[in-house]
Amino acid sequence: MEPILEVRNLTTQIPTRRGLLTAVDDVSFTLHKGEIFGVVGESGSGKSMTCRSLLRLLPSSARTVQGSAVYRGSDLLRLPPKAFNQVRGREIAMIFQDAMAVLNPVHRIGDQLTEAMLAHRVVATPAEARARAVELLRKVGIPAPERRLQDYPHQFSGGMCQRLVIAIALSCQPQIILADEPTTALDVTIQDQILKLLIGLQHELGVSLVLVTHDMGVVAQSCQRVAVMYAGQIVEIADTVSLFTAPKHPYTRGLLACVPQLAADGEVLPLAPIPGSPPDLVHPPAGCRFHPRCPLASEECRHGTFPLQQVGQQHVSACIKHEELGPLS
Amino acid sequence: MNDLRAVPPILEVKGLSKRYVMNAGFWQQLTRRPPDLLHAVDDVSLRIAPGEIFGLVGESGSGKSTLGRCLLRLVEPTAGQVLFRGVDILQLPRAQMQGMRRKLQIIFQDPYSSLNPRMTVRQMLGEVLAVHRLCPPHRVEARVRELLHLVGLPADAVDRFPRHFSGGQRQRIGIARALAMEPEFIVADEPVSAVDVSIQAQVLNLLIDLKAQLGLTMLFIAHDLSVVQHISTRVGVMYMGKLVEMAPRRLLFSQPRHPYTQGLLLAAPQPDPFHHSTRVALEGEPPSPLHPPAGCRFHTRCPLASDRCRQAPPPLQEIGEGHWVACHHHDLAVWPPPAATPWAA
Amino acid sequence: MSEPSTAVVGRVNDWGLRWREARWLQQPALLVGGGLLLAMVLASLLAKQISPYDPIAQNLSNTLQPPGPVHWFGTDNFGRDIFTRVLHAVQLDLQIGVLSVLFPMVLGLFLGSLAGYLGGWVETVVMRVVDVFTAFPFLVMVIAIIAILGPGLTSMYVALTLAGWSAYARIARGEILVIKKAEYVQAARALGFSNLRIMFRHILPNIVTPAIIFAMSDIVLVILSTTSLSFLGLGVQPPTPEWGSMIAEGRPFIMTAWWLVTLPGMAIVLVGLGLSLLGDGLADVLRTEE
Repeated sequence: MEPILEVRNLTTQIPTRRGLLTAVDDVSFTLHKGEIFGVVGESGSGKSMTCRSLLRLLPSSARTVQGSAVYRGSDLLRLPPKAFNQVRGREIAMIFQDAMAVLNPVHRIGDQLTEAMLAHRVVATPAEARARAVELLRKVGIPAPERRLQDYPHQFSGGMCQRLVIAIALSCQPQIILADEPTTALDVTIQDQILKLLIGLQHELGVSLVLVTHDMGVVAQSCQRVAVMYAGQIVEIADTVSLFTAPKHPYTRGLLACVPQLAADGEVLPLAPIPGSPPDLVHPPAGCRFHPRCPLASEECRHGTFPLQQVGQQHVSACIKHEELGPLS
Repeated sequence: MNDLRAVPPILEVKGLSKRYVMNAGFWQQLTRRPPDLLHAVDDVSLRIAPGEIFGLVGESGSGKSTLGRCLLRLVEPTAGQVLFRGVDILQLPRAQMQGMRRKLQIIFQDPYSSLNPRMTVRQMLGEVLAVHRLCPPHRVEARVRELLHLVGLPADAVDRFPRHFSGGQRQRIGIARALAMEPEFIVADEPVSAVDVSIQAQVLNLLIDLKAQLGLTMLFIAHDLSVVQHISTRVGVMYMGKLVEMAPRRLLFSQPRHPYTQGLLLAAPQPDPFHHSTRVALEGEPPSPLHPPAGCRFHTRCPLASDRCRQAPPPLQEIGEGHWVACHHHDLAVWPPPAATPWAA
Repeated sequence: MSEPSTAVVGRVNDWGLRWREARWLQQPALLVGGGLLLAMVLASLLAKQISPYDPIAQNLSNTLQPPGPVHWFGTDNFGRDIFTRVLHAVQLDLQIGVLSVLFPMVLGLFLGSLAGYLGGWVETVVMRVVDVFTAFPFLVMVIAIIAILGPGLTSMYVALTLAGWSAYARIARGEILVIKKAEYVQAARALGFSNLRIMFRHILPNIVTPAIIFAMSDIVLVILSTTSLSFLGLGVQPPTPEWGSMIAEGRPFIMTAWWLVTLPGMAIVLVGLGLSLLGDGLADVLRTEE
């Protein structure tokens, strides 16, 4: 397992009228070559902002105030803009949630597909770019690719648009793809198609994929390792099987217990909701941010910081009481 | 399920259809082209017994939301009947319909746009109580607090505006507002789709509690099968305006017989890392609702489709105790699928 | 199953409420604009205390005095103290500004909302009339109407209302078309509320914000056009102190006594500045409230 991207102490803040909002708080993780790494969390947990910070695609007021993201020996956060543009889009690509909004409605699909390839000089001639575009469309499962190059985005359905976005992301043969909720806006059967397409392509091309999602089901079905985010911080990182069978953070455990699962016999178990709501990130609670909602919380959880500690092989957790968590029922 | 039939339904839908006329613009009139018709809901019939939570599941464009709104006449259906305790509410004149609305309520999907941003919780609930004279003026304050307690909101919520609440709390306000009317029947239109995972369970449990506490009957609309499975006593599956399968919960999830229901079940990603497949559950996309395919509307994506499916639309027929399926080949739809089912290809 | 879900909701943070009260104070534009206007209104209310002179009585032995310690803004060709007249005019000019925006706003919002909410032929008729009114140049229409009714304050109000309502009708209709689709309006229908209640309780309050924001900039325009009307002799009649008519009267002396025209002009600029700052601040506050 060779690391390809090492993120250390990433912190991103957004000034608001109420004060400074720390959207990403001291986030560190390592992405390995050729793996699907899940980042899971609820809205406002900082999972999207982490991705955007890495690609330096933050809203204008937000600032990454601390941290590094080392890719091939250089820190992405400190590369001069020109050098960074060589990396972004070419070596690290991004797939967004809303495919329709990402595609430019006034340009033909073919032009949008070849644009990045020509700009990054991945191909020498427009003809070569076109040939590659056709191949890419075929690869992402768009029928009759030669004809569809002439079409505009509005002539595609939501699922087909997401396939196009994936094709564009793949066009420069990136090393890393950051996918931010790539299937959230889609219907169940289409989500299933796109997810399996992504997994298949990742496997085929050996690219490293960061999959940001709120859906524990998507994580279980696709990722090798997972980071769980809560209130801007990573609270647990583990391989998928450990995370689902022996979670070492009460938040992860709470998430697993409150998601309804399909049962083959149609029998249902009562859900155990996590009480309360996620905290206000302008004035987060002191100590462990999960303590107001945590069943294990005690006095020591209300103060201090809680760095990730090794709790197993490839398994880190920020909870100091992880040993009190019994086995999953 | 025999007992279910013996009880007269609280709500019965007969042959309900909603058609939208598209492109009926100037040019269309000039060229005398017939306007395009969009069949949002097409000849749907169902009965809901008192105390049931009927789950209605389908993807976007399946017509599930339109059907829900037709039941309250928030959308006027094009054809069919909606019988509430035997009275066809579609025939009711306006004034009587206003009275009927007390008994039929709706909980909306979006907790952000379904609350008036300029009214406090007290004003919102108080208005409902006052307009319908649901309690004497001096009792309004107490009743508002009672409602808030019922949905698990703190008493000091009364003087706040919607923007002061989180998504889950707003959804509770929406539920309190519907409950203020003391309804007998509630349409819950994707009430948990817009709230966060950790909050979703809170809202679902609240609805289950309220059902038990107040004896509510509910039409629960959702796109998420596991949510529907969790809350419903009976489930209907819609595809392109048609009801394709309907059965008591256990039957539907343990022995789904329509290939579309089976595809939906296989497609939903499960939070179980030991249980996954690389096969796509259901290929293709729904065709344009403006030009639905002839015969069975699902035949373009169906692994079992035959010539018969391309010509004759299958009727919704009862194949077992309370289990209704609209599929010519329901006896071929094996469940659970063996390793090499047709839709592996 | 019955207890946990009702007990789990945490307390709502009440920073929201406190913030709401404080937010007004955190808008510098709002404070400066409001302060400026307030100061001007106060000064005009206390005009008799601040300045000993009479705004109307002539003193022909003391004409065209330049600004100085005795007459801060100088005197006009009838020997009247200009500072006193500017002060006395504040109330009248602000009243003209506010009323000539209020009337068209009410009329426009009413007709526009009606058009947007009811749709159908009502909408067609109202919006075509709006088109016709918008097609006329504003000042030309105002002058034409005053010419028909005869000069004076009342006909000026009538003219400005008739010429100004169409912009508000457009705003109202546009907003209503959006809000009509909002789920809380659907919810109000589901709750069995009458059309009138839905319109007045649930829709109108939500369209007033953009209308007020527009009105703030409109007041400045209206004050400017009333001063042009007075300048043309169609508005407020002399000797009533009013900035427009003061400028009109001072025009022949512009080369020899600049203060006759410039200083009332400065008052207009100040009011305009105050109002647009106030409008900006108000817009910020009202917008963030949503």
